[in-house]
Amino acid sequence: MNVLIVEDERQLSHEIEIFLTKQGFHCDVAFTGKSASEKIFVNSYDFILLDIGLPDISGFQLLKEAKELGKDAAFIVLTARGSIDDRITGLDLGADDYLAKPFSLLELQARMQAILRRKHGLKNNTIQIYDFLMDIQNRTVYHQKNAINLTKKEFDILHYMALHKNRVITRVQLTEHIWGDVLEEDYESNYIDVHMKNLRKKLSNFANSDFIETVRGIGYRLNMA
Amino acid sequence: MQKFSNLKLQVKLALYNAISKALIILAIGALLPLLIERVVYNHIDKRLVARLEKTFKMVEIGGLDEISLDQDCSFDSYNIFKEEFLSISPLPKLPPDYGKNHIENSEREIDNEKVKHRVLTRAFIYDNQLYKIDIGEGLSAVDQLNLTIRKFTLWMLIAVVLISIFLDFAFAKLLLRPFNKILSEKLINVKHPNAFNYQPIKSTTYEFTQLDTSINDMMKKTRETFEIEREFIMNVSHELLTPVSILRNRIENMLNDPTVSHEVAEKMVESQKTLSRLTKVVKALLYISKIENAQFLKNESASPQAIIKDVLDELEEWLQSKGITIQNEWKDDFVFSPCNVSLLHTLFYNIMTNAVKYNVENGKISISGGLKDGHFVVTIKDTGIGIASSELDFIFDRFKRFRPAEDMSYGLGLPIVKTIAEFHHINIQTESEIGKGTTFNLHFPSPDIIS
Repeated sequence: MNVLIVEDERQLSHEIEIFLTKQGFHCDVAFTGKSASEKIFVNSYDFILLDIGLPDISGFQLLKEAKELGKDAAFIVLTARGSIDDRITGLDLGADDYLAKPFSLLELQARMQAILRRKHGLKNNTIQIYDFLMDIQNRTVYHQKNAINLTKKEFDILHYMALHKNRVITRVQLTEHIWGDVLEEDYESNYIDVHMKNLRKKLSNFANSDFIETVRGIGYRLNMA
Repeated sequence: MQKFSNLKLQVKLALYNAISKALIILAIGALLPLLIERVVYNHIDKRLVARLEKTFKMVEIGGLDEISLDQDCSFDSYNIFKEEFLSISPLPKLPPDYGKNHIENSEREIDNEKVKHRVLTRAFIYDNQLYKIDIGEGLSAVDQLNLTIRKFTLWMLIAVVLISIFLDFAFAKLLLRPFNKILSEKLINVKHPNAFNYQPIKSTTYEFTQLDTSINDMMKKTRETFEIEREFIMNVSHELLTPVSILRNRIENMLNDPTVSHEVAEKMVESQKTLSRLTKVVKALLYISKIENAQFLKNESASPQAIIKDVLDELEEWLQSKGITIQNEWKDDFVFSPCNVSLLHTLFYNIMTNAVKYNVENGKISISGGLKDGHFVVTIKDTGIGIASSELDFIFDRFKRFRPAEDMSYGLGLPIVKTIAEFHHINIQTESEIGKGTTFNLHFPSPDIIS
């Protein structure tokens, strides 16, 4: 999969590049609108991560041009300008998603996977985790045809862990994914542990749930071959 | 006086004109008869003196016999309408003002009829005999005239005042039309500089065009300030959040690096928490600034009850884990419009999370809503640890924290609540008692009740 990272902040584009390359993506980087425009014209990408605040051309302008060229890459708009109109303008111009800086790389990956699922029909609509089957569409987890009664947040946690299997996910990352951009203070940061405890208990009523591992001092990991 | 201070300018102008005209006419009505009387008396007095001299001449030429005296040496002569008379009678002793004309008004009974006269009296000596002569002229015509003038003045007064009120009212309305237009279009109904109509309002009155131009200029300046502030917020966002973004992603990449030891990874997680905290503070401050900069639209309508229900759904698991019961007591519901649903959601969310966070295990939160004194009021009451009354005034101030030290809050939840409330003209009153709990009363503007 080819990804073009359009981001004038070199350190940031570098970190995104490291992360996505590790995930198996092939990455191209453009630091200016002009160079991005040329790359979009010549190459074909599956994803274009587009920073709005470029020094030469507005990201929106680039998005418009690419859409007019008939490029079918998925666009994810990145912005730190914090303007409320940016999100609306981006989505209106045909962007597939929008991420406000600072975002988690795990969140970026999750959004990219969601776009892939949307674009390529609904084939990967279930995830098998040992004896459990996650139905993403119906937001239900089954154990041999038995639906397990998970709350919305428990399901979200399991889903996020499965998306990032074999990787330690910190409490901060989980909390932010589950609670989103909630502008309240970060109440009881250990609250995520309560959710995790309940989730494990519910799963172990049906089968072994040891695949969710607690990594002391860091977070959780879903181990799966 | 309260009522008067709220009168429309148009009404005030008309009233003032009517009252001033009435006063002028009243003054004229009171003074005119006096003036006329003076003029008329002056004329009569001159005529009386002339007649006296004529009479003396007649006496000089023909003697008193000419005027044929009666037995008692007196003489009375009236003309047929009793308007004029001449009388001569003997006088027993010399009066102090001998030789001078004495004029006064007096009643004379003539044929059993009292008639008011202007009378000239003078003493004189004829043939060694002292006589008094009275020459009079009737005043009924003058009185009649004065009465007529007074009546006329009264009717004039009523008519002029009525016509004046009507005309002045209409004229003031016409005159003040541009002013009222400026008021309604440029001042009262303007909610935001971007929604301002810069089209000049037509007027031929100098002051009104001045006023209109000044308001336009002022609004332009306000708008520029708003734009500068908006630009500033965007720049600050970019300059602060981009480095945070770099750090954050770098930490994430390092956490995924197998060469990083567990001890270092634990430190990285702590750094991630710190960074998350910094992000939240910056975002919360920017959020407040954006609301104050009116970057949020206010064009939706929603019922507070429905929004609170959504918030409760979101907090359900937290409520359960803390064993908190929710008591809903809605008397009426209403649709709040115009509003921003997402902002209101945050407002209730922040109040509710406070109510949960500072509540005791197995505590209670009562939520009620209903009309009170013409306003819709939502009350959220918890059974939490409460806030000291000395601190209650400051709970909406930024970065004030009164809670226990182990609490990880940033002190921006309630300032956000305050900013959103002000944006929607919601008035918040708080009551609290240490150890008993805190109550938030939200008074909504303009009631619009669903029956």
